[in-house]
Amino acid sequence: MKRTTTDHDSEGIGRRQLLSAVGGSAVAAALAGCSTLLSDGEAADQGGQSGGGISDEPIQAGLLTFTRGAPGVLGIQAQRGAELAVQRINEAGGIGGQREIELDVVNEGSNPLDSYNQFIEEGKEVTFGPISSGTHSQIAPEVEKNEVINLGTDGTVTTLYEETVPDPTYSFRFQNYDIMEVVTMAREAVQRVGADNISTVAGVNPGYSFGEDEMRVFTQAIQQLTDAEIVYEGFPELGASDMANHITSINNEEPDVTFSSLWGGDVTTFVRQASANNMFENTTVFGTTLYSAAGDVPADALAGTDIYSGSRNYYWGLPALGNWQPGRELFDAATQQEGVTVPTAHYMSGYGAVTAWATAVEKAIDLLGTYPSQEQIAQVLEGHGFFTPAGYHNIAEDHQGASNSFAGQMVYDDDLGAARLEDVNTYPATETAPPPGVTGSDWLDSWSA
Amino acid sequence: MAVSATAALVQTLNGIQFGFILFMIASGLTVILGILDVLNLAHGELFSLGAYTAIGVFGFIIGVIGPPGGGVVGTVVFVLAVIAAVLVTAAILLPVGTIFEAVFLRQIYDRDQVYQLVLTFALLLILLDVKKFIWGDSSIRTDAVYSAINTIPTSELVGLNYPTYNVFVILVGSAVVAGLFWFFERTKTGRIIRATAIDREMATAIGVSTDRVFTLVFALGAFLAGFAGAMAVPPTSATLEMGTNPLVLSFVVIVIGGLGSLRGAFVGALLVGVIRSWMITLYPPGEIAAPFAIMALILLVKPEGLFGTWGETA
Repeated sequence: MKRTTTDHDSEGIGRRQLLSAVGGSAVAAALAGCSTLLSDGEAADQGGQSGGGISDEPIQAGLLTFTRGAPGVLGIQAQRGAELAVQRINEAGGIGGQREIELDVVNEGSNPLDSYNQFIEEGKEVTFGPISSGTHSQIAPEVEKNEVINLGTDGTVTTLYEETVPDPTYSFRFQNYDIMEVVTMAREAVQRVGADNISTVAGVNPGYSFGEDEMRVFTQAIQQLTDAEIVYEGFPELGASDMANHITSINNEEPDVTFSSLWGGDVTTFVRQASANNMFENTTVFGTTLYSAAGDVPADALAGTDIYSGSRNYYWGLPALGNWQPGRELFDAATQQEGVTVPTAHYMSGYGAVTAWATAVEKAIDLLGTYPSQEQIAQVLEGHGFFTPAGYHNIAEDHQGASNSFAGQMVYDDDLGAARLEDVNTYPATETAPPPGVTGSDWLDSWSA
Repeated sequence: MAVSATAALVQTLNGIQFGFILFMIASGLTVILGILDVLNLAHGELFSLGAYTAIGVFGFIIGVIGPPGGGVVGTVVFVLAVIAAVLVTAAILLPVGTIFEAVFLRQIYDRDQVYQLVLTFALLLILLDVKKFIWGDSSIRTDAVYSAINTIPTSELVGLNYPTYNVFVILVGSAVVAGLFWFFERTKTGRIIRATAIDREMATAIGVSTDRVFTLVFALGAFLAGFAGAMAVPPTSATLEMGTNPLVLSFVVIVIGGLGSLRGAFVGALLVGVIRSWMITLYPPGEIAAPFAIMALILLVKPEGLFGTWGETA
């Protein structure tokens, strides 16, 4: 039976208990998707410590994301997620009950570093984004130089905090990073196919640093979990119109598992051409970001396929919407936004990055009684835990977000008019991420010990 | 890696199919270069414009005739409708090419080639914005054509696992090749165009209007680019950036074949298509480098390209 929230529910939880659970303020409650559990007026009354030297000047924030072209499939999701989070913060009275957020969105485009520097010149108090791993590697050192907090939405390359900025102060990343989503899919492959049944593996991944990083990590992980041999690795360039050669090579090898980190429109092209070449009769596909094409991939292309996709740290259907009101409200709000057929993990990237920063600032205001400096916000963000409708998240001491990961079979849902995941498995961060201070590669190597 | 005979055949067919798409793009580029002596940097955007336009035309025509009916007649009607849609799309590009040549390019033929490059680059950027204005930032797609044509049994009749749409591209591409050679070798207009390419002053002296020929040739180039866009888009999506890679590969093709040579473009396109295909099979990281490696090799051995420039033969 579908359960709805009643007055009795909110009385049962208790206002103080609820606020305490989600982080102590109406902003935290709103971002956790729990503000409707508070009675009318309570949310605005609990807007953190208002006054006390906090000005009512709006906070200028910048979001660097792809707003057009092929990567826009991901970037617009992140943008809409960030916009909804900002809207909820402002409706809850703003940060510290005083300061609303004005979000400036700029296309990541071909000169993302210039766009980022423009944000800094304009005096942005916080920046969010980017989507691309390459961009993240470029801007992270600048973030440290500028000493203005950046909450990375994506840009999930493994080496960011291992090599590029090994000892960050102001750079943080909310989304699960490459090793987490890849290990999730390696475990998912073993779970679905069975370690003893995986002796050959192929890969079709985007031909740039992200795809190469993902294939490298998957190879290491799957070879720790099975005795698999890699029989084919293809790297089509981003936006490739013709994937027939890679598909024919997979048909030739008939691997037990094919790993892919294709995303957005490339997923649709790959799945349509693979279906036309009967590739799914010869292999089972496991991908980290295939579900990013949920609203794009057509029904007939998914029919008869055997595809399992990860969904990073958020899948809208888990817990089931009927049982989880914050999830339901987020889903409804998201699907009313332009360009969002269903909210994907990239939607949560934007939503969660803003939430991480906002709840940390609220916590700092509670502790200090005044608006915190960049350094103080950075200190609070280390080890900071907070809620979104996707559940509980934590930014670890190494500045990397850690959340549960999701994976399931990708099928088409006629009622939804989009793909959904079926039979979803959840993987805790402890199973997918190395402990802070340990590199991904060393951690994977340690599995056999 | 061991490649089975069937996989080898399919990879070769993949290469030929890709080669035909490349030829359809490069033929327009090389004809314009051979006769007008203009390197049209906007050619990739004309290809892309064809892809975007085709999605609307396919939708309209399929909306009129409905999905493919059962039986041989229904299938034949559907395939003919798709071919008609491709031709209509290409025809829509004709006035675009005409305007580009008559309004913009004609003013600067007597200037240094760098002006032509700057102008066609400007046209490239304008077309990019026009596409963005009309169709928006997101990619668009047509599903019906690729899916429906793939339901027609062809390769499986001979025990091969190969999509019928790819067979369709090879057949249509062959018809385009034959049609172009027939046009330039056998028709009066084609011979006039070739004569103008060989000796512009002599052609003018015997009464040929070079202005008209140039406009016709540029329009023909746009037609071919639009045709290629319409044939290439059903298995994939139309995106704002889709014109860039085909333009670069077309340059490679016409350098290999010989600047301005239609015959060279045909051989170069098939060479690039098949070698790229085999490179992906045997050494996937070499996919992007392979066409450029062939080009470098040809330039070293035969700097004028395999077939030289436009001349006595197409």
